[in-house]
Amino acid sequence: MTDSRMVRADFVSAIVFVALGVATLVESWRMPRLEEMNINPWSAPGIVPGVLGAIIAVLGALMLVRSCRQGGWRLAPGEALRGLGSAGSRRAALTLFLTIGYAGGLIGRMPFWLATFLFIFVFIQIFEWTDPALASRRLWRVTSAALVAAIAAFAIAYVFENVFLVNIP
Amino acid sequence: MPEGLVYFGAALAGFATFGTLFHVLWATLLGITVGMLPGLTATLGVALMTTLTFSMAAGDAILILICMYVGAIYGGSRSAILLNIPGTPANAATTLDGFPLARSGRAGKAMGIATTGSVIGTMIGMFCLAIFAPLLAEFALKFGAFEFFWLAIFGVIISGQLTALDDPLKGWIAGFIGLLLSMVGQEGIHAYQRFTFGIFELSGGFALLPALVGTFGFAEIIGVMKDPAYEAIKSAKDSVIPKLSELFRYKRTIVRSGLIGTVMGLVPGVGEDMGAWVSYAAARRGSKEKQEFGKGSVEGLIAAETGNSAAVPGAIIPVLTLAVPGSAPAAVLLAALFIHGIRPGPLIMIEFPSFVFEVVAMVLMASLAILFFGLVLTRPMLLILQVARQRLMPIIFVLCTVGAFAIASRHFDIWVMIGFGVVGFVLREMKYPMAPLVLGIVLGPILDKSLRRGLVLSDGSLEPFLTRPISLVLWLAALITILYSSATVRRLTRSAAHRLAPRFFSS
Repeated sequence: MTDSRMVRADFVSAIVFVALGVATLVESWRMPRLEEMNINPWSAPGIVPGVLGAIIAVLGALMLVRSCRQGGWRLAPGEALRGLGSAGSRRAALTLFLTIGYAGGLIGRMPFWLATFLFIFVFIQIFEWTDPALASRRLWRVTSAALVAAIAAFAIAYVFENVFLVNIP
Repeated sequence: MPEGLVYFGAALAGFATFGTLFHVLWATLLGITVGMLPGLTATLGVALMTTLTFSMAAGDAILILICMYVGAIYGGSRSAILLNIPGTPANAATTLDGFPLARSGRAGKAMGIATTGSVIGTMIGMFCLAIFAPLLAEFALKFGAFEFFWLAIFGVIISGQLTALDDPLKGWIAGFIGLLLSMVGQEGIHAYQRFTFGIFELSGGFALLPALVGTFGFAEIIGVMKDPAYEAIKSAKDSVIPKLSELFRYKRTIVRSGLIGTVMGLVPGVGEDMGAWVSYAAARRGSKEKQEFGKGSVEGLIAAETGNSAAVPGAIIPVLTLAVPGSAPAAVLLAALFIHGIRPGPLIMIEFPSFVFEVVAMVLMASLAILFFGLVLTRPMLLILQVARQRLMPIIFVLCTVGAFAIASRHFDIWVMIGFGVVGFVLREMKYPMAPLVLGIVLGPILDKSLRRGLVLSDGSLEPFLTRPISLVLWLAALITILYSSATVRRLTRSAAHRLAPRFFSS
């Protein structure tokens, strides 16, 4: 991240932290004091989160002041989002999409080994087909990816369940 | 101490079985592999291994975790030397001199120096663990609610300061966010459910292991896929066995780095990264070959690797004696100890007197294993770095998913892992350090109970929080840390020193 983008990111994150701190403080204040249980008022559940909320709000405000001094308030949305179109960001977004798809869409709807095989195979294929540097020997790449996915899926399922005796999703 | 030697001897004798040695070898080798691969950190390795070993006997499981921890911190030096990418954050300082050495055709020498530095560093830390852990445990018996409250605050402040030296404010925010996250779920005094918003699965709070697997595993996977692909130096033709004369020449640097690393490990939530950086800076300041640093200095490389490895046993000291982790992987180790029914804390030398020395023996076994693998398997292990990231990362994500799920068999924990991973990735992109966040999650329950119990004991008075001797030292240390990070205060201190110096030295 460049310095100017970092200042803008700090400005936005500072607002989020101030809001989080204030919301925590309010929620902590609204927590029951449990007087009906005749407890010592200093042991009420809201005390510590309230203190933490206040500290986070103060630290967020300090960052807000600092980023405003550095010009972070002159936030141009287009400028702030400029880096999102880069190849790196696209790869990160694709990774996020595929991993969440596996965890939320595949796991639990089919046997673990099948979900895992499909995920690993599709993940490798998508990243290798879209990379011009890997355009040669396509058939070998597809075959070896299927092999890697199959071995990994069965090995992970077998080792976790039968060697280490832990549950798999 | 003689009692300690007996326990240590008994532990070593107990480990001399085929099964135990097999565990030491595979766990250390796996640790080195995890450390070598960019995107896989020691924290993730120890967290995944905790889920794998939780049905094992406590002794075997803890041995495996310690071998994984020691192996991963050492293994990270490989990618630092050959790729110029630290395999774990602890090996960032290693890149400065390790990569230039490798580029100039001395990759084997660099790896040999890193191996020796790591082994000696681990040994120095191990001696300190054996000597200081029992003493610290005895001292910690004086800690009450007031002291534990300030220890939690001081831990978050110093961790935030040292892991974000350029911008401590971000380190502190990360630490307090970690403390706040630990407030979610049923609290420990009246069993009231805080911040659960009617979600049943949140009543137990965020489980530590899925949160750590997300922060240190999933966030890294996104980061590795985002960054440009790496290319390794593929050959190491020169000898990996370092010359003894060269090691003897840097004996002062080695001992100093070992001690600095151990102290950095001891400081809550700071750990191996700072162990390496501070040792490197001290070596540079004290070196006769300052100009070589950053260009392939053997002294710089040995300082960084001795420092980060010494921090591993150093970080285990507060885990055992105060139940406060010295680093992020040590936080996982702490959770694993609780899972296996060992209660670390001030009473450890009373309840489990032999355990501290068993851990010392485990560290010794792990350091001998890295020496063996480091010198024998150097060239075959280079092949691991040739695996393309798009083939490795989906497999790592599957392991993260299974690891998050395995402990409680809850699908909800997979979403916790993903949530922490995404937030961790965004925060890391904005230069928020993750170690204080993790420390905050671990220290949150201690802070919560200590503050409320302290207030109940003092009937709302803050006086004992501020005047009891250990509390006084801790809050003053936290205050000085905060004040010193302020540019204005630093400027004032420097100008006062500048003005006063002539008066003292003129006479």
